[in-house]
Amino acid sequence: MESLALRDDAIDNGATIVGQNALQLIAFSIGEQTYGVEITTVREIRAWNGATPLPNTREFVRGVINLRGTIVPIFDLRARFGDGQTTPTKTHVVVVLSVGDKWVGILVDAVSDILTVSRDEIHVVPEGNAIDAELLNGIVTHDSRMVGLIDLNAVISGTRLDA
Amino acid sequence: MSELDEFKATYFDECSELLNELEEQFAAIEGGDRGADRLNAVFRAIHSIKGGGGAFGFADLVGFAHAYESLLDQVRDGRVALTNEVVALCIRANDIVADHIEAARSDSPLDAGYGQAEKERFESLCHGEGNGDDEGMEEFDIDFTPVRVDLEAVEDAEPVLETLADTDTFGEATIEEPSELKAWRVTFQPHRDLYARANDPLLLLRELSTLGEAKVTAHLGEVPALSGFDPFAVYCHWTIDLVSGTAGETEIREVFEFVEGDCDITVEPLDSQAEDAPSAPAAESTDSIEAFDQGFGDLLAEAELDPPKSLSLVEETQADEALSAEAQKAAPPQAPVASGVSEDSGRGAGMQSIRVDLDKVDRVVNMVGELVITQSMLTQQMDETLRARYTELVRGLEVLAQTTRGLQDSVMAIRAQPVKSVFSRMPRLVRELATKTGKKIRLETIGEQTEIDKTVIEQLSDPLTHMIRNSADHGIEQAEKRLAKGKSETGTIRLSAEQAGGNILIIVEDDGAGINRERVLNIAREKGIVAPEQQMSDEQIDQLIFAPGFSTAEAVSDISGRGVGMDVVLANIKKIGGSVHVRSWPGQGTRMTLRLPLTLAVLDVMLVRLGGSPYVVPLSSIVETMQCARIAFERTPTGGQVMQVRGDYVQVIDLAKRFDMPTDVAPESRFVVLCEAEGGVKVALVVDDIIGQQQVVIKSLEENFERVEGIAGGTILGDGNVALIVDVQGLRGNFTHQNAA
Repeated sequence: MESLALRDDAIDNGATIVGQNALQLIAFSIGEQTYGVEITTVREIRAWNGATPLPNTREFVRGVINLRGTIVPIFDLRARFGDGQTTPTKTHVVVVLSVGDKWVGILVDAVSDILTVSRDEIHVVPEGNAIDAELLNGIVTHDSRMVGLIDLNAVISGTRLDA
Repeated sequence: MSELDEFKATYFDECSELLNELEEQFAAIEGGDRGADRLNAVFRAIHSIKGGGGAFGFADLVGFAHAYESLLDQVRDGRVALTNEVVALCIRANDIVADHIEAARSDSPLDAGYGQAEKERFESLCHGEGNGDDEGMEEFDIDFTPVRVDLEAVEDAEPVLETLADTDTFGEATIEEPSELKAWRVTFQPHRDLYARANDPLLLLRELSTLGEAKVTAHLGEVPALSGFDPFAVYCHWTIDLVSGTAGETEIREVFEFVEGDCDITVEPLDSQAEDAPSAPAAESTDSIEAFDQGFGDLLAEAELDPPKSLSLVEETQADEALSAEAQKAAPPQAPVASGVSEDSGRGAGMQSIRVDLDKVDRVVNMVGELVITQSMLTQQMDETLRARYTELVRGLEVLAQTTRGLQDSVMAIRAQPVKSVFSRMPRLVRELATKTGKKIRLETIGEQTEIDKTVIEQLSDPLTHMIRNSADHGIEQAEKRLAKGKSETGTIRLSAEQAGGNILIIVEDDGAGINRERVLNIAREKGIVAPEQQMSDEQIDQLIFAPGFSTAEAVSDISGRGVGMDVVLANIKKIGGSVHVRSWPGQGTRMTLRLPLTLAVLDVMLVRLGGSPYVVPLSSIVETMQCARIAFERTPTGGQVMQVRGDYVQVIDLAKRFDMPTDVAPESRFVVLCEAEGGVKVALVVDDIIGQQQVVIKSLEENFERVEGIAGGTILGDGNVALIVDVQGLRGNFTHQNAA
């Protein structure tokens, strides 16, 4: 239930890059992969505490949770990338994001960092992997790591079994 | 000017209420009730719309409403007979007024000549049996730039001058042939109630001055200093010297007819010789904020205006009470300002209701919902040892539970409204439909006082419209056809509302031809809604009219038959947690029943367990529960599972299979929840375990996600977990679709 505190020094590091083109990301990991979402879309980060499964939905819809009286769906990002369902433990993390007028949660292994990157550094997702191309807006490199920028609208679409 | 916007919003709110009122009154008038009360109500509604419209400067609206009002006035007096033609004209006029209001609201002006034909018709009706006076009155009032609330409008002197010029001409016109000038002295002392009922002395004085030349004197001696000023008190009275060629005491008293009892009126003949013959009218003005500052003493001037034979009226605002200072309209520069105090109408006295923003109520509803959950959570936390140890705490929790329940009921009562507000729109619809189709249709409404949650009511208008359209277009036959069948010429659509347990039933019933099942089935097969070989019961065929994309209309009419409509009904009703059922008797009619939840916010449910997850089933749909061990399930040839309940075979749905929830509970220790879906059809749901009953607050899944098949929504349990609400009706529908596919 408790929100994870974000490291202060990470924010300080981020603040050193300034300019119109700066983009702040929350980076999180799924296995060895690092992904990021724009920090302004993040509403809350909370520890995994189970979810009520939803029938007749695809495997990457983990179910719904109660977020202070509102029902919020949880998407399993690993399963969304076609890598099988996550077996969540108490150390897994749900990142609650706002997408349009909806609030959704994504289940990830861990939140790693806050990154500040320049918009100019965003690369196009290479063709080839259909799922990556569908779910990522672009790729940035940070400290020689590759960070995939999640396209939230794509992630939450196509949830029904018949879709 | 946000304050002004607020007043406008209130005005538009009031207008929509008044328009509803008009609908209602005309429905009764059309039905043959032509009592004076009805007409008075209509007159008052139009008058209020006009008055408010004037305050905001909606000239077109005011112009039209005024012409309409004049006609109504004559009808009321019996000078114009209330023929069917007049009623029809009035109903049309209501629409035009509504359009004008809408135009003013959306700030999109109507065509210049809009409603002109009707307006002219009013005038010719008025003049047919009326007299010259009214013509004068009409022009006078229309030209009169209506009361405007604009605190910065002091520079508006020019339009006022124009007004004066116009009224000059008019003034001459009316007293063209002074047969025998007679002078009257009228004293007018309003009571507090007069203002409390939102009457405006200026309007009375103005009307009085249409009878002849009026010299109005305001007596302001009692006005106290600003510090001691009570905005609701009455400090002012008037003496009016009226010179008129036509009006007698009766006519003068008629002016005050509306406020009878709320003021003291004396009317005495005056020796006209003693007065200056072309007595100059006095200006009526109101006080601005500055005027208050200066003190009333300075303003105790009575002015006589120069222009002879003219009525000069300076605009006045009949403002909302909050606008405590009324806009001062500058009088023509050459004319000294006369001052008449008109206190703010003290509508506050005896007010029985308040307007509250629905958002605010919803916030309370939501918080009470959370409170209910917290309270039930607290109760669940109390185990036996705690109960034994802390008896005071337990008692406190019990009281809390009671209070919470009471609070919840009260909050729900705030949101409840009679369905009348929707029903009252339907007579017009039926009228229009009757005209368009050339059929004779009568609408009966029953139970319009039945109360439902406001949100439900708001969602009800579209579905009801579609249903009534459908009945009028497809159900009711043409008059000749009806006669040939031995039915009465006029078809009847009956719209009724009643409460049935935790539900509200809204029934639309017609005595038309009924559903042509053969045709419906053929069309459904053509369109692929039903598989060709599938056999369907009569009831199932009837329900097909709600299938998406289904339409039987041979020609697309502008009434119904676009193939959208009935499925929209179903979608809308489902959205608010209701269901639709249709039953038809060939040749005798069709009955469509909407079953709606009494409130959207709380639901009595049975909590069940399924594959380790909590689910809830609405208690209102549960018939009984049974242990699986005692039931003999049987298989149907198509592979479905059925069970026998008191001689009937009932479809069995294993929720674990349907929802794909792996369960490790032994089949014999599971439970059957027997539910009744729409139309009395039973369905047996198999669940792992039954936990108990409780009240839950319905939460939307669609808010952050989307609709899930077989699930009507979610709810948050006492332990903070989410439970899903089983959509009993939806599960059945799903079954049919799967078979059909």
